[in-house]
Amino acid sequence: MQTAIGSGELPVGTRRPGLVGWLLMMPMLVWLLAFVVAPAAILLVYSFCQRDELGRVIYDFTWGNYQRIFFDSDTGKLGTTYLTVFLRSVVYAALTTVICAAAGYPVAWFIGRAPERWRNRLLMLVMVPFWTSFLVRTYAWMTILANEGLLNACLQSAGLIAEPLELLYTPGAVVLGLTYAYLPFFILPVYGSVEKLDNSLVEAAFDLGAGPLRAFQSVILPLTYPGVVAGVLLVFIPALGMFAIAQLMGGGVDPTIGEVIQNQFLAARDWPFGAALGMTLVAVFTVAFWFASGKRAAA
Amino acid sequence: MKLLPLITWALLALSPVPLQAAANKGSLNLYCWSEYVPQDVIDGFTKETGIKVNVENYASNEEMLSKLLAGGARYDLIQPSEYMIEALIKAGKLQPLNLANIPNLKNLDPKFTKMPHDPEGQYSVPWMAGSVGIVVNTSKIKEPVKGYKDLFSGKYRKRIVVLNDSREMVTWAMYSLGLPINTVTPDALEKVKPVLKDWLPQVKVFDSDSPKTAFLNGSVDVGIVWSGEAAILFKKNKKFQYILPQEGAHQFIDSLAIPVGAPHKENAEKFINYILRPEVSVKISEEFPYTNPNLEARKLLKKAQLQNPASYPPGEPKLETFKDIGKAAQDIDKLVTDLKG
Repeated sequence: MQTAIGSGELPVGTRRPGLVGWLLMMPMLVWLLAFVVAPAAILLVYSFCQRDELGRVIYDFTWGNYQRIFFDSDTGKLGTTYLTVFLRSVVYAALTTVICAAAGYPVAWFIGRAPERWRNRLLMLVMVPFWTSFLVRTYAWMTILANEGLLNACLQSAGLIAEPLELLYTPGAVVLGLTYAYLPFFILPVYGSVEKLDNSLVEAAFDLGAGPLRAFQSVILPLTYPGVVAGVLLVFIPALGMFAIAQLMGGGVDPTIGEVIQNQFLAARDWPFGAALGMTLVAVFTVAFWFASGKRAAA
Repeated sequence: MKLLPLITWALLALSPVPLQAAANKGSLNLYCWSEYVPQDVIDGFTKETGIKVNVENYASNEEMLSKLLAGGARYDLIQPSEYMIEALIKAGKLQPLNLANIPNLKNLDPKFTKMPHDPEGQYSVPWMAGSVGIVVNTSKIKEPVKGYKDLFSGKYRKRIVVLNDSREMVTWAMYSLGLPINTVTPDALEKVKPVLKDWLPQVKVFDSDSPKTAFLNGSVDVGIVWSGEAAILFKKNKKFQYILPQEGAHQFIDSLAIPVGAPHKENAEKFINYILRPEVSVKISEEFPYTNPNLEARKLLKKAQLQNPASYPPGEPKLETFKDIGKAAQDIDKLVTDLKG
């Protein structure tokens, strides 16, 4: 994880890969070509195509799919339907990332600083939920959050609330579900950084008079930064495209971009439109990433 | 910690595994609705014939069609509804059945065979019939809900579950407007649009797979669901009443059919013949209490099952099947997608 993240920032004088290096990289390159570049190219082509009545793709060029995303078909003005969907998904994913960071960083720190013999066991505990199907775990959350579910029943019998709270099928439930699903993806890379952190540097900070806050801000955070970046990417990107949790815990109301895209490829049978939405999502990512990395390079 | 990258990759690799279409002779690739084919029936078939059944599920006819056309997986047996059968026959995607292999066809009610979507009964064998109607939790809602207009009057805002199915939604709106449900013209859709624009924001949950869940966990009090789901709710608690909307309701005929290119056609026919046995068919009715078109099986049903109004609606309600609407299906998908946003 560490090296993969760090490689983008290699010093200028680093040796270019020789023949052996390229050969060693081949599996990776082939994998990328076959499963990233090629599908993306197919999607790009589809996004300018049309569909027939059964939903098969017809290779007739059109801008129509992109027009449908950005413009209202009735008024011809800028449309808000799909922009709202994009925005909603970004907000859900961003909230999820922030909560994962706030909850995951201390956990990763604790595990990384724990005595060595405990670390693997604690890591196992982070992994244990993955032993059951993620759908089963999502359904478990549904039974907890439902109006006549576990949580409401407990609160009611404790006399804390009179009427059941509306928890399930709300945006809050979606963010909770996403946070639950992606928390380990934040903890693991940060743990990797924390584990490698040289404790003497932290001690030095304290010796030089830094308080806990200052030590965290100036020493610990910069040193674990690669792990945090990896964690943010591993949480934010999948959370943005996730559709199953949004559908099950959000009730299909206020859909996310993942739900809309999935729906285009299955129920609505409009692959070209789904492809156009997918390409727009990729474009948004690329621009955001470009800006983010540009800023970092300039700083 | 060398384990770490490995673990991360293992996590990333936890994606659903696609159905492996088995190539050996002794198998059957069944592509059916979720919650519609009891495991018991599949196990019984395998036990008797030695044929291994690979099951894959879908939640709407359109989803099934989309995967079928995409190719890749080789299905032997699919479970389309009436309008989808019509479309698939038109597109040349279904194979005629060898009826000599299916002697148990004689058990079926002739009312349900040779219907307009498959006039010769060559391509499809009815599995279950049902309707799409309204369920009311009468412990929460005391006044009568007679039809779509009552349901979406605004009184039950965010207490509603409906099927997540574009054609169904448009049909309810058309019924409420008094439009013929199988004449889907751009004009008709222009009229439907404002109605759905008013209705859809009132919905709390869209779910075609298992709309009963939202009722059982108390999240909704009223909704439009498949009659079989309604019958299960009624069986669990009599407070869940099923009402066929006075404006009219869709009657679906879910059937079994064999797509072109099926690698194990004979096994598929064996399966069809197997489920038409009264003692097998009755198992399906027990778990999924739709209207069973199998008259011999109905004789084995208990009185309470036959008197469940969601399974066997009394009286002469206004029920209509869907016809294939061709190109207009695309307009419906587009309309509903844009409205749900």
